[in-house]
Amino acid sequence: MTQMTRTSNPPLTTPITGGVGESPLRPDGALKVRGEFAYSSDLWADNMLWGVTLRTPHPYARIRSIDVGPALALPGVYAALTHEDVPGQNAYGLEHIDQPVLAVDVVRYQGEAVAIVAADHPETARRAAAAIVVDYEVLEPVDNAETAIFGEGVPKLHEGGNLVRYVPILFGDQDATAEVVVSGTYEVGMQDQAFLGPESGMAVPAEDGGVDLYVATQWLHVDQQQIAPALNLPQDKVRITLAGVGGAFGAREDLSMQVHACMLALHTNKPVKMVYTREESFFGHVHRHPAVMHYEHGADRDGKLVYVRAKMFLDGGAYASSTGAVVANAATLGVGPYNVPNVKIEGWGAYTNNPPCGAMRGFGAVQACFAYESQMDKLAEAIGVDPVEIRLRNALSEGSVMPTGQLVDSAAPVRELMERVRDKPMPPARTSEVDIRTMPGGASNTTHGEGVVRGVGYGVGIKNICFSEGFDDYSTARVRLEVIGGEPVAMVHTAAVEVGQGLVTLQAQIARTELGVQRVTIQPADTSVGSAGSTSASRQSYVTGGAVQSACAAVRAEVFDLARERFGVSDLALEGGKVVSASRGVLADLSDVLGDRAVEHTREYRHRPSFPIDPLTGQGNAHVQYGFAAHRAVVDVDVDLGLVRVVELACAQDVGKAMNPDAVIGQIQGGSAQGLGLAVMEEIQLSGAKIRNPSFTDYLIPTILDMPPMTIDVLELADPNAPYGLRGVGEPPTISSTPAIVAAIRDATKLALKRIPVRPEHITGT
Amino acid sequence: MRTFSYVRADDVDAALRAITDEPNAKFLGGGTNLVDLMREDIERPDTVVDITRLPLAEVEELPDGGVRIGALLRNSHLAAHPVIRSRYPMVAQAVLSGASGQLRNMATVGGNLMQRTRCLYFYDDAAACNKREPGSGCAAIGGFSRSHAVLGASASCAATHPSDLCVALAALDAIVELRSSRGTRRVPLVDFHRMPGDTPEIETVLADDELITAVELPPPPSGVSRYRKVRDRASYAFALVSVAAALDVQDGVVSSIRLALGGVGTKPWRAYQAERALLGAPATEESFRAAARAELADAVSLPHNEFKIRLAESTIVAVLRGMS
Ligand SMILES: Cc1cc2nc3c(=O)[nH]c(=O)nc-3n(C[C@H](O)[C@H](O)[C@H](O)COP(=O)(O)OP(=O)(O)OC[C@H]3O[C@@H](n4cnc5c(N)ncnc54)[C@H](O)[C@@H]3O)c2cc1C
Ligand code: SF4
Repeated sequence: MTQMTRTSNPPLTTPITGGVGESPLRPDGALKVRGEFAYSSDLWADNMLWGVTLRTPHPYARIRSIDVGPALALPGVYAALTHEDVPGQNAYGLEHIDQPVLAVDVVRYQGEAVAIVAADHPETARRAAAAIVVDYEVLEPVDNAETAIFGEGVPKLHEGGNLVRYVPILFGDQDATAEVVVSGTYEVGMQDQAFLGPESGMAVPAEDGGVDLYVATQWLHVDQQQIAPALNLPQDKVRITLAGVGGAFGAREDLSMQVHACMLALHTNKPVKMVYTREESFFGHVHRHPAVMHYEHGADRDGKLVYVRAKMFLDGGAYASSTGAVVANAATLGVGPYNVPNVKIEGWGAYTNNPPCGAMRGFGAVQACFAYESQMDKLAEAIGVDPVEIRLRNALSEGSVMPTGQLVDSAAPVRELMERVRDKPMPPARTSEVDIRTMPGGASNTTHGEGVVRGVGYGVGIKNICFSEGFDDYSTARVRLEVIGGEPVAMVHTAAVEVGQGLVTLQAQIARTELGVQRVTIQPADTSVGSAGSTSASRQSYVTGGAVQSACAAVRAEVFDLARERFGVSDLALEGGKVVSASRGVLADLSDVLGDRAVEHTREYRHRPSFPIDPLTGQGNAHVQYGFAAHRAVVDVDVDLGLVRVVELACAQDVGKAMNPDAVIGQIQGGSAQGLGLAVMEEIQLSGAKIRNPSFTDYLIPTILDMPPMTIDVLELADPNAPYGLRGVGEPPTISSTPAIVAAIRDATKLALKRIPVRPEHITGT
Repeated sequence: MRTFSYVRADDVDAALRAITDEPNAKFLGGGTNLVDLMREDIERPDTVVDITRLPLAEVEELPDGGVRIGALLRNSHLAAHPVIRSRYPMVAQAVLSGASGQLRNMATVGGNLMQRTRCLYFYDDAAACNKREPGSGCAAIGGFSRSHAVLGASASCAATHPSDLCVALAALDAIVELRSSRGTRRVPLVDFHRMPGDTPEIETVLADDELITAVELPPPPSGVSRYRKVRDRASYAFALVSVAAALDVQDGVVSSIRLALGGVGTKPWRAYQAERALLGAPATEESFRAAARAELADAVSLPHNEFKIRLAESTIVAVLRGMS
């Protein structure tokens, strides 16, 4: 062995690992894989009680009376509460405060909470809930969005009628005509977020009359804002700590068991834990809005879009949740990532007696994308060009103007994304020596290749990142730097919710990069620090990332003040745990400069403002940032038996900056899988406004055998407005994978396929 | 879940005594169906008799070339057994196409025969269901009926029997051996499950005090055999349509045929009419289609399951075409 000799100067410092742009191991990863991670359903307190909810079996009914007597008569039961026991305002909601904590005289959807019970054993609590006698006058449910708004003699489900929101987008000439016109009506079924960790949490009564709530949620402070008035407590007496979250995808943005558990805890003066069963979970959270969308596209002979007209009806179900914002998204993004000079889009969100719908990954952009991408394929066919070409001819780019009049003022590489997925080598053709698990029908030995036709399809989508329409969207971070055990350690504290996407890891990466320290601890997320906003809208890396970055910058500035005083230089940096000067090299260990001082700063970060849209024209700078992804799907379809195997998904997405490349890939794979689910299997089956398949035996999500290998291209075109130039990652891949897969099935079958999910019977016909 | 007592039987006689002596008792095999149904409050036994320790988990080769499969053999062991795999591949394929690895490791042969329907309304105690609550009506007929049967349905019930294994067993002329304190009897599998008629709650000919002890397979039919399943995803879903077939072709003519269908019938459906049409017919796509149509001529659809008729036809044709 030869002795290593140094040929260049040693680096001034040992570089930090696991900073921005790297993919350090996530702290929760191994625990989750081993089954050791503590989820909210694992919470435990001595002497705790179990809370259970009594839900109505009827989608629409009047309540004549509720008798909790038989429940209270059971030994072991501590409380049985109804709307009469709600201490404060019996209503909550994200956009509209329209949902009762416990139903008063009417229930508007199957599964609506009517009463709650606490007992010393979960089974006792369940029996007690079942013993409660509710006398209902059952009414005929309203189960169609369009009829709910425009039907004759349809009952008004809420005082203001059945319209939650109407959003028109009027742009250019409304009467424009075109040489080539294609139209179609497209339908999207109700998708579920299908997270694995059911709604759960524990409320602990506090000595000051307040309550401490440990819960799996998406947005601690918006929970707090809704819970406190219901409990008639000041906000600071409702303290919330995040418990382990088993997936969210939008389904935890609304309240579920939060107020109920707090009511029971305050009433019994004991900790109360609530965990929904899997079946109950289907009634315990909002779903993706089912949609019916009528589209007409007009283009010239070259396929250049002249106009898009659309009417879209989104079924919001019994309570508003975030229906208003979902409709605005569907409408403002309703032409897709294309230049369209003349637009008339109208979106309606309706109240019905279906299960409430609200946030789900993609948030309105998913439904619209299925429709406009189906239309683009139809247009390509009418013009006689291939599907990629039609998209390239109309591709949005930086400098384009959206139908809201908003300028697209940062990278919009629609063209490049399309070209990239197009230019990927095609997966090899099927050979006779195939693993049958890779064939349509998968493990069921359904086909050995006969009757199988290959198809290829494309999809590209657009999504707004962060909250829109003038919402004061911010996050707060507290960062503290001090010496622990002789080493400088950064502590980061935010209320930002880790739902599995890797935000805890990312916050540490940012602190490492900004402060040049290796060790970072992340405090549990709770309401003792300011709001971080929601873990949704692909916004946390942007907004909480921005907050951590700016709190770190404040801490760093103070350290520089100390260093300047001591060394008299100002060209300072923090690197590898040292204070470094550009001109004089390493000045000192950071721990030296800090001494026993703790430097701490809290900062709020706001992205640039967005603005409301004009209620009559839909014009306005509603969105903060746009995200784009494109997919190419290759499918094999057994056309006789109606079975689809997605052979490969290629995705290209611009993420501005890959803050954590592994996490980016994970988001793209996961999002694409969720889009695959919507394309070919996932649907909450409703009949008579009732959910018919509230289980994972009957609500099917893709298995690993349904999910193909992916090839992924990640572009990093910095957005100058965003921290590190990043662009939200989580939602765009969900949006474009669905239409690409359906287009590929159409390519193989030549069927119109206007409704998703596409099932065997849609391919074989009846 | 209601409270219940638990008894473990160490031998067959003890099991039979327990089921006779304890009022409202049920045998517990792998529990993958019974326990779920108890949680849902649909099965309400007062006593559960655990039979998993009974010495009934072997595959024995019989002198006539057939096999005897113990009723307590786990589904995954059945599918992995070398004799089953080599001589009755259709059985192994059927088992492997059902449920998931974890479930198959628990599920027993007897339990698989006795598993109850997956009709969505059967599971919803707020819905009318003659099978769950005799005389209450049938919410599926007139409700969401996509998963329901097109063959064998009555005005009382259109639920399918969900087993994959039983479809293969029906095709192979399996015999079910039943024991009670009164003795042993042998029932062909095709007669073991009953048509719903006006009493959909009575699903099999098994008496309350009877134990399934074994399933016997006669020597395998000549020719090739196969089990194929069409479902909504690549793994871990019940059949929309499944086909078990054993086919022998001599000089271009069908010399032997066994055909059974899953997912479309109210019981594991032996396709006798199709078999009659095929025997002696040329082994061509036309004959296969004609035979499938003969079997499905009496099919009756509900609003959401009409597609199954065509799908069953296509699946039968595809399977036979692939084997000939
Ligand atoms: C999510 C899920 C998916 C599934 N998918 C499929 C599928 O795709 N295809 C498929 O075929 N099956 C499927 N199954 C069903 C599975 O095969 C059955 O649950 C299993 O075979 C039942 O066997 P067991 O031993 O667990 O029965 P248990 O649950 O123990 O018993 C079921 C019934 O049989 C009775 N019983 C059991 N053994 C005997 C005996 N020896 N004599 C008399 N009575 C007896 C019990 O009393 C009970 O009434 C699925 C199940 C689940 C939960
Ligand atoms: S089909 Fe049979 S099991 Fe289903 S609801 Fe009707 S009676 Fe019950």
